Amino acid sequence: MDKLFDILNYSAISYLDPGTGSLIIQLAIATFVAGGAFIKIKWSAIKKYFSKNK
Amino acid sequence: MIDLDKGSFRDPSGFVFYKDGQIYRQVNESYKDNYELLMSSGLYDELIKEGLLIPHTEVDSKSSCSNECYKLIKPEMVNFISYPYEWCFSQIKDAALATVRIQKLALARGMSLKDSSAYNIQFVNGKPTMIDTLSFEKYEEGKPWVAYGQFCRHFYAPLVLMAYKDIRLNQLLRCYIDGIPLDLASSMLPGSTKFNFSIMANIHLHAKTQANYSDKAVDVKKYTMSKMQLSALIDSLESAVNKLKLDKVNTEWGDYYNATNYSDDAFNHKKQLVESFLQTAGSRYIWDLGANTGVFSRLASDKGIETIAFDIDPIAVEKNYLHCKQNQEKSILPILMDLTNPSPSLGWSNEERMSFKGRKLPDTVLALALIHHLAISNNLPFSKIAKFFSEICSSLIIEFVPKGDSQVNKLLATREDIFDQYHQEGFEKEFSKYYTIQQREKIQGSDRTLYLLKRK
Repeated sequence: MDKLFDILNYSAISYLDPGTGSLIIQLAIATFVAGGAFIKIKWSAIKKYFSKNK
Repeated sequence: MIDLDKGSFRDPSGFVFYKDGQIYRQVNESYKDNYELLMSSGLYDELIKEGLLIPHTEVDSKSSCSNECYKLIKPEMVNFISYPYEWCFSQIKDAALATVRIQKLALARGMSLKDSSAYNIQFVNGKPTMIDTLSFEKYEEGKPWVAYGQFCRHFYAPLVLMAYKDIRLNQLLRCYIDGIPLDLASSMLPGSTKFNFSIMANIHLHAKTQANYSDKAVDVKKYTMSKMQLSALIDSLESAVNKLKLDKVNTEWGDYYNATNYSDDAFNHKKQLVESFLQTAGSRYIWDLGANTGVFSRLASDKGIETIAFDIDPIAVEKNYLHCKQNQEKSILPILMDLTNPSPSLGWSNEERMSFKGRKLPDTVLALALIHHLAISNNLPFSKIAKFFSEICSSLIIEFVPKGDSQVNKLLATREDIFDQYHQEGFEKEFSKYYTIQQREKIQGSDRTLYLLKRK
């Protein structure tokens, strides 16, 4: 029963049940797209770094 | 007398009610901090400035109907409430983009949307506008977006299905009041969508993850995400929605005005008559039933008359909406509706979402080139059609299209003519039971007649 309440922990704060699957997939997507965004921002610096090392 | 809104009960932060014909929203004590943050953070002002949130004024709370009341607010009234299963593709898309924009502005001010229901959006002055003032909560660092799943079900899945499978699939929202289940969306989409990162992630993988974790006990609190990750997620959703486009589809009505048998003279004369009848009727709020792309609706809306333009064809509604958007029209709202099976009342106790006839009814209805579709294509007797109109409007501007007209001939070309009663005398006889004929004019260059009827 305790575990059930663990699952519903966010629901206790928010009236909407975010759904465990939705929380986990959004974290995965967010990590992926945030990584992509980071590389995009730093792309010129990365290119510069590798061209220096050539 | 206080009348509680039937669709406002899920969120314990407050509720909507009506008193003396005015709308009010009670803000509960439990929502006090979030409400104050919304108002003091500058978010409210910013959203109002961008036309993304319905404006409200705070009023004396003594007339409130509950002792949990912290504040009573009076939002601007929206005359015609519409639902996502009545919107065309671009309306759903714009509503989705408005929701994402609101979430971005909220995050920048230290708040977050606690739900992303499509039913929180209404088209006000032509623009998608959030009507639920209590949808914001203080952003807590590390907390994922609780409304992400709802956003995918209410907006992304319908849009992807409409764009990649069939434009009519927004009708699934009628069956699933909390949005299209993602496993259903995933199973209906073409396999090629698995090569599209956004659709793969937000629909297919999302559905699989939901299924995997549906019966597993997981401590979700350990799953946290930084604000940067959350912002990247919101940006990616915005970009995913922005990329969705509708393929050009030719449907029955999309090309109606080009394919019709009207001469320019007849078309212009009909326009003049409609304008004159509208003026005689003194219309202030009209429904144009069978509006197509809204050519005749605009005779009213261009004069500032609030006009709801209904049509059964999703492409016609799409074209109408894009025209409104391009010209920043404020008085016309295109709506997708099958008059032979109009929106029913839906949701809990059949009360959450209003039926077609349950909305604020117009003073005038325009029914141009519609009667033959109802009577011949749908076998509806004049008696039933007349009764239906008499229940929704006091003034009716209706066009009678007789047998012999090429459009009627087209409808009869593939079926037996069982419509002995379909003639002008029969039409007048049945409509005269409910209405007085105020004006009757032949449309020049055609066999059609335009009527202005006044309810008895």
